[in-house]
Amino acid sequence: MKISVALLALAAFAADDSFVLRNVTIHSVTSAVIPNATLVVTGGKIADFGTKITIPKGAKIVDGKGLHVYPGLIDSASNIGMAEVSSVRETSDMVELGDFNPQLRSVSAINPSSDHIPVTRGNGITTSLIYPGGGIIGGQAALVHLDGWTWEEMAVEKNVTMQMRMPTIATTTFNPVFGAARRPFAETKRRYEERLKLMSEFFEQARAYQRRKAVGDAGFAIDRRLEAMLPVLDGKESLMVFAPRERAVKDALAFATKEKVKIILAGVREAGSAVKEIADRKIPVILGETLELPLDDDAAYDSPFTLPAELHRAGVTIAFGTFSVQFARNLPFQVANAVGFGLPYEEALKAVTINPAKIWGVDDRIGSIEKGKWADLILTDGDPLEGRSQVKQMWIQGRSVSLETRHTKLYEHYSKRPE
Amino acid sequence: MTRRHLLLAAAGALAFGQSGSPNLYAIQNATIHTASGPPIANATIVVRNGLIEAIGASAPAPAGAWTIDGKGLHVYPGLIDALSTWGVPAAAPVAAARPAAAPGGGGRRGANDDTPANVQFQDDGGPEERPSNTSWIKAADLVQSADANLIAARNAGFTTAIVFPTTGIFGGQGSVLNLAGDRAGDMVVSSPVGQYLSMSTRGFSAFPGSLMGSISYVRQVYLDAEHYKTAKSMYAQNARGLQRPAYDRALEGVLESPRTLLPAGRKVEIERMIRFGKELKTPIILYGGVEAWRSADALKTAGVPMLINLQWPEREREGDPDFLDSLRTLETRELAPSGPAVLAKAGVRFAFYSGGVARPADIRKAVKKAVDAGLANEDALKAMTIEAARIYGVDDRLGSLENGKIANLFVTDGDWLAEKTLVKMVFVDGRKFEPPPTPAPAGRTE
Amino acid sequence: MQRRKFLGGLLLGPISASAAEGTIVIRNAKILTVTKGSFDGSILIRDGKIVEVGANVNAPADARVIDAGGQYVMPGIIDCHSHIASEAINEGTVSVSSMTGIEDTVNAEDIGIYRALAGGVTTANILHGSANAIGGKNVVIKMRWGKDAPEILLDGATPGIKFALGENPKRRGGGDTGLATRLRYPATRMGVEDVIREAFTDAKAYKANWDDYRLKVAKGERLIAPRRDLKLEPLVEVLEGKRFVHAHCYRADEILMLLRVADEFGFKIRTLQHVLEGYKVAKEIKEHGAGASTFSDWWSYKMEAFDAIPYNAALMHKKGVLVSLNSDSGELMRHLNQEAAKTVRYGGLTDDEALARITINPAKQLAIDNRVGSIEVGKDADLVIYDKHPLSNYAKVQKVFIDGQMYFDRDKDMSDRAVKAERRKMLAEKQKAAAAPARPAGGARRPQ
Repeated sequence: MKISVALLALAAFAADDSFVLRNVTIHSVTSAVIPNATLVVTGGKIADFGTKITIPKGAKIVDGKGLHVYPGLIDSASNIGMAEVSSVRETSDMVELGDFNPQLRSVSAINPSSDHIPVTRGNGITTSLIYPGGGIIGGQAALVHLDGWTWEEMAVEKNVTMQMRMPTIATTTFNPVFGAARRPFAETKRRYEERLKLMSEFFEQARAYQRRKAVGDAGFAIDRRLEAMLPVLDGKESLMVFAPRERAVKDALAFATKEKVKIILAGVREAGSAVKEIADRKIPVILGETLELPLDDDAAYDSPFTLPAELHRAGVTIAFGTFSVQFARNLPFQVANAVGFGLPYEEALKAVTINPAKIWGVDDRIGSIEKGKWADLILTDGDPLEGRSQVKQMWIQGRSVSLETRHTKLYEHYSKRPE
Repeated sequence: MTRRHLLLAAAGALAFGQSGSPNLYAIQNATIHTASGPPIANATIVVRNGLIEAIGASAPAPAGAWTIDGKGLHVYPGLIDALSTWGVPAAAPVAAARPAAAPGGGGRRGANDDTPANVQFQDDGGPEERPSNTSWIKAADLVQSADANLIAARNAGFTTAIVFPTTGIFGGQGSVLNLAGDRAGDMVVSSPVGQYLSMSTRGFSAFPGSLMGSISYVRQVYLDAEHYKTAKSMYAQNARGLQRPAYDRALEGVLESPRTLLPAGRKVEIERMIRFGKELKTPIILYGGVEAWRSADALKTAGVPMLINLQWPEREREGDPDFLDSLRTLETRELAPSGPAVLAKAGVRFAFYSGGVARPADIRKAVKKAVDAGLANEDALKAMTIEAARIYGVDDRLGSLENGKIANLFVTDGDWLAEKTLVKMVFVDGRKFEPPPTPAPAGRTE
Repeated sequence: MQRRKFLGGLLLGPISASAAEGTIVIRNAKILTVTKGSFDGSILIRDGKIVEVGANVNAPADARVIDAGGQYVMPGIIDCHSHIASEAINEGTVSVSSMTGIEDTVNAEDIGIYRALAGGVTTANILHGSANAIGGKNVVIKMRWGKDAPEILLDGATPGIKFALGENPKRRGGGDTGLATRLRYPATRMGVEDVIREAFTDAKAYKANWDDYRLKVAKGERLIAPRRDLKLEPLVEVLEGKRFVHAHCYRADEILMLLRVADEFGFKIRTLQHVLEGYKVAKEIKEHGAGASTFSDWWSYKMEAFDAIPYNAALMHKKGVLVSLNSDSGELMRHLNQEAAKTVRYGGLTDDEALARITINPAKQLAIDNRVGSIEVGKDADLVIYDKHPLSNYAKVQKVFIDGQMYFDRDKDMSDRAVKAERRKMLAEKQKAAAAPARPAGGARRPQ
């Protein structure tokens, strides 16, 4: 009996997802920072951590060399895996035709071999929310680990939220080739109203469908689009609503009240007088990029940098997203900029760890270093939000994940070119 | 019939000039605003054969003169639109003056077997193709005396317009035109008086497609013109042994123009065009002037005259209520009408032009706005009369009421800028016109 | 009168009352000279130049004192690739647009200048865009916010011209980009090389023609001069070594192509811009003597950027190439210090090496390093005060000096905001009221 238990214990530590990380400073995010600490991972989960830890016999020891361990960072809005080269349409699967596609899901269109996945990992991101674009309702976003042989293995939550884009009045549009174009307000306002109406009608249709289904209406046939709306109408699935400017934010809030749905605001670049309502209704905000230009010529030069602090001070739960493919690896720097301009450091770190974990309903599994959570960890030589730091090692669900990328390989290769 | 009428009838035979209209008038007892001095009350002005013969408080009406009782009336020099399109029909967009060699058909830079059928090739042109250029055409050759805009302008007190063809980058040559004449030729006071340039672009596919392209194009054309002039002159002196300079009508047009008009609204543009104008080695006039209020120093130092567009920037009727205009837009709107006053104070030469103001009757309102923003009344009048004439070098004959000058004037029943003032008559080259009475708007009681 | 008031709410003109004359001492600073080490001390400025730098300086009693409060001072950032401050960027309608130039379209009132200042940039190389294999001429400007166009040009900077290789100049040659059905040569990289060779062949012939004419006229012959061609003259200047070539390029093959074409025609490429595959041909770049100005970490937005690596700057630097980091973006320009920090993460450069990417190196590339790029005696007093080490992502620009005048002060910027906002609101309301249609007198219509 004793022998088999010992063998079992050995076997547990022989698996790739069990190890002991020694000689590290642990930044758990949800409790105090612990220097000179040890962290035990068993079966891919955090078993224990602290300064007075008994090392299990036979454990694989990893020397942390006095470095720092943080929870893996979480990007709350990204398109990696769904596009390879943004200017080449054949490589992009982000935007489908049509205005209402709630039945589409991004999870199975994510290419696990995309070069963007290891590249993004390289800067400490272990989990990303991958969203579809397009129309008013683009489809369902997936929360994925940045490691896995297949998208299935990568998935943390296959359909974590429904992506929606609030119609806006855009009098100035910008085409990268032709430059800026101005359209008359009356025209764009009419179009905006038409689209709001379309949106409203779609929700009505969905509710009617919900009722017919509940009643067991004769002749009822599954409509996959409307079927996909049911969890949203029941409040079981959230709507991730893209609303960059104040008017769109207010529209989104009104819409959520009217349709009685649970929303998360995304891509917010100004909140204005809507801040209080956002805070009061405890609606989380996935911030738009901080490394952006101000919204108009007269806006304060640092307005994109100060928004995160402004929302935090008002009591809003914030998270960060990169809204990018090629710049997804720069999540830490989007966050760091906000710290310089007033967001307290601890809050900044939370905004890319425990906050998104809670927002996406996976805080039982990830988002901090706590017993029982998955060992999604990064080992860094310094503050992971700082440009000069390096991520030295990464684990996802306790498995050591390679930080080698297309870029590191090209670097090594060409370093060796003879003089 | 009274004795007076008989006398007039007799004198009529002598007094009537061309086409049966009188050629000798005397407006008596009016307030005369000469634009070359203070107003003269209870004065008389005598017009004979199209010229002003006498002005004065005590000038008697000559025998045979058609007398007009000017009591309570005001006489002003005829208004001048310093940059106008009245009388010239809008031209179609201009193709390249020298089209490039036919594209396609197996050329090195053209189509090949793989090229889809609907594809065209853009002229890999440049300044040499002379795109958007009709520098040789003259407003004097295009004007139509019966043009409706022209007549409407005259009814509002305008007697003269400096009319330019304005299509393209090199629009063509302008003329000083009086706004009446049996034949177009009768209207011309001076031609050509300048070359109209705009920095328009030809869009995405045709040179020039950008401001930097337009500027470099104009620069090259002026260089080419200088070279052409030298070459022609050398060739004319002694043709033996020299290559014959190829005729280039676009350059002929540029060389013919005694001055060049360049567009400049914002301060950045005004300063840019002043610098650019120096390179062109020809006198320049700037037109636009929406930020004249902050450009006085630059204009004064350079000694460049400014034509100010009377279409003051207005608030968009239907703008987005959730967004404030930018501070810059707001300030420009606020301060643009004060530009003329600033320029007047700084001693910068300027005149007004109709610009985007469609109805000539609205032009007076626009001038009033500048007066309300600080421009002295006399300076406002000058900007619409003598200053325009001076800028184009015709102030020896036009622009003010002085003996010997052309009899261009208009007569009103009150201050020319007051809202309810009516224009009673207009004289162009000494010929009298009476604007039709404006019907009273429905519902208004007297 | 109105002239010195707020325009666009931004107080135009330098903030300090004292102009370039006068003596200023910046005290109590952590000085990062970039070229001569880092230490705590002071900087003495006179008539816009740095006259002393050290732990202590001999400041006269009447010097204006700026207490840096223990904060960091570094040389003003130099952006080697920018398109701000110009009302046009490309003349893309022709294959060769060398007759055009940014100098004709400089807009010194572009808010991008102020925003760049707020990000620590004091000098920038404003380039024509990349729509043409041979594009237009550049200008080098200092961010002298409030001055007008001629005053922001950096006097004495060697003139330059823009070339572009790869996808951008061939975009109008066809393809499914929706860019009109009117095509412009070239459509391939082969054609890009052809355009360059053709243009320089023409330029050589033009130069020979003029040389011949001058010779003959000197001998007394009577000739009509050749026509001046503004397109070819800048190319002749390139051939004569008087005008720098800044060439936008991506792929290793096109980089090498350009170096070889330049060698054949006898001129040098001054800088390769973007040069995202420069690391593959660092050897050849070094041998030719071109500088490389690249992005910190942009990649994959185009096919030609797919082999771009964030180690590019570090690797080229290690192979002996003069490397700088640029922005090519009004947004990125605001945090070039953060981009420089990335060369520590990607490639292990030291702090000074990282800072050199955005200071002394671009200065050398533009041949203005006698004036700017480091904190050294004799150079222009172009200085930035940061509240934290500039390579920290948490650092903020506090003050910026150019030629010893303060052009940006964060405290002043913040205190001006309320005034600006108030004025904007007031004017908007006033104009809205003025535009509202007047009610008819007495309200209801009177009976006729």
